[in-house]
This record gives sequence, C-alpha cells and structure tokens, in this order.
Amino acid sequence: MLKQLFPIKHVAGYISSLVLSAVALVVLLDIPAGSKMAILLVTAVLQAAVQLMLFMHVGESEDKKSVYINIAYALFVALVTILGTLFIFVWGWYS
Amino acid sequence: MKIDASQPLEYGTEENRNRIFGFWLFLGAEIALFATLFTVYFVLADRHASGPSGAEIFEITPVLLETFVLLTSSFTIGLAVHAMRLGLKKQMMIFMIITLLLGAGFLGIEIFEFFTYVHEGVTLSTSAFASSLFTLLGTHGAHVTFGLLWGTAILIQLKKYGLDHSTANKSFIFSLYWHFLDVVWIFIFSFVYLKGLM
Repeated sequence: MLKQLFPIKHVAGYISSLVLSAVALVVLLDIPAGSKMAILLVTAVLQAAVQLMLFMHVGESEDKKSVYINIAYALFVALVTILGTLFIFVWGWYS
Repeated sequence: MKIDASQPLEYGTEENRNRIFGFWLFLGAEIALFATLFTVYFVLADRHASGPSGAEIFEITPVLLETFVLLTSSFTIGLAVHAMRLGLKKQMMIFMIITLLLGAGFLGIEIFEFFTYVHEGVTLSTSAFASSLFTLLGTHGAHVTFGLLWGTAILIQLKKYGLDHSTANKSFIFSLYWHFLDVVWIFIFSFVYLKGLM
C-alpha cells in the first residue's frame, strides 16, 4: 500500500528538488563570483524541469505538441522580456 | 457526452481534455505575467534609496522553511493525483488536505516575513526596490491564497459528489496550478533571495 501511494518516480522527484535547492545554497559560500549566477540558473531550470516533467505530466496527452509549443512560446516571451529589458536598462546599452 | 474509458478520468471526455489544454494556455500567460514582475525587480533591485537593501533585510532561515514547505506541498499534490488515478478517493483527499495545510503554513511564514520587513522600515513605498519586491512576492502569495480557497472548494465537491469526470478534471487542473506556483517560488528563491544574499 505504501509503495502504491508513494511511487518511486514521485519520491525521486521530491528528493531531487530538495537536493537541487540545497546545492543552490553554495552561492552563499565564498566561491568565485562568476560561477554563482551559473549555479543558480542551472539548479533553478533543472528544478522547473522536474516539476514539469515528473509532476505536471507534460507530454502525456494527445495534444502534447500544442502544449509544448505553448510553453515554449511563453518561455520565449518571458526571456525576451527579461533579457531585453536588462540589455537596455542594466547592461548599459542605453547609457 | 462521449466517454473515452481508455483515458484517466480527468481526460475522459473531450470537454475535459479541452479544459486541461485551456489551463496550459492560462499557465503560459502566467509565465508572461511573472516574467514582467521579475523584470521590474531585476531592474530596480539596487534602487533602495535611503531604505535598506535586500542583503540587509533578507534572512535565510524563513526562506529555507518556505521553500521546504512549498516543495513538500508540491510533492503531496502530485501524490494526490497519483492516488486519484488509482481510484483511491480517501487517500487522495488526505494528500490534498496535507497540501492545503502546507500551503497555509507557507502563507503564514510569508506574512510573518512581511511583518518583519515593515517593522524594519521597508514598506511598499520605501523605495523602488521595496515596491518591486512586494509586488513580486505579493502576486505569488496572492496566487497561493487563491489556491487555498480553490483547493478547499474542490475538496468539498469531492466529498459531495465523489470521483467523477468533473471532479477528477478539476483536481488535476488544480494540481497543475499548484506545481506552477512551486516553479515560480523556485525562481523567487534563487533570483530574489539567494542572489540578494550572495
């Protein structure tokens, strides 16, 4: 019963998300500043992927192609908004 | 209503499949919404005027607690959907109740955190940094609050009508919403708190 209620896939997903959160904490230690953003980006994107693939079952339905395109488009809009704005206002293209 | 018995309950009718697809479209719009809020925060994060900066007010302990609680709730709502697909209504409802309690716990910690910030002199109008921080965190917190009400309403329907095409569909869509909030929190945890503290 316990094995039925707690499938290994979900338990593994949960543990990996906890581990990834813990790994992200190394940015608070004294490590090279350049590697910090890279670590945060990798752990955050991996965690988002764990949620999407393991828990949200993206890709299980017949219309999965449309779901993938929709998510990809949303991420494209998100990245253009964030990076485009940083490009102009923070990274100094404007000034 | 054409019922496809080869599919799980929540996908069993065409209407159900359309609702799930429609919710994915909504989540796409939510991604765009949170992207704009993150953008504003990233641009204004250093503009703390005469008020304190992020590094001065952020504390890692409550943030770690919030992260742990929300990750666990995302796990339990996943287990609820798994139990639902096995037809185990009672176990599913228990997992959903645990999820909502964890969600309430998360909200409690976040409210306590906001109180602490205000006590330390950081309010919505203190600086551009503070405004954008409260708007981003508040929008996520408001989503969690709405999720608590929505989840409770679904629990009542599960109790009243049992597991059918309609309640299974609603429960599954709720699980998508809850996992999505967890994803947003991961980005807040990484790019607001950890980045602010490093």
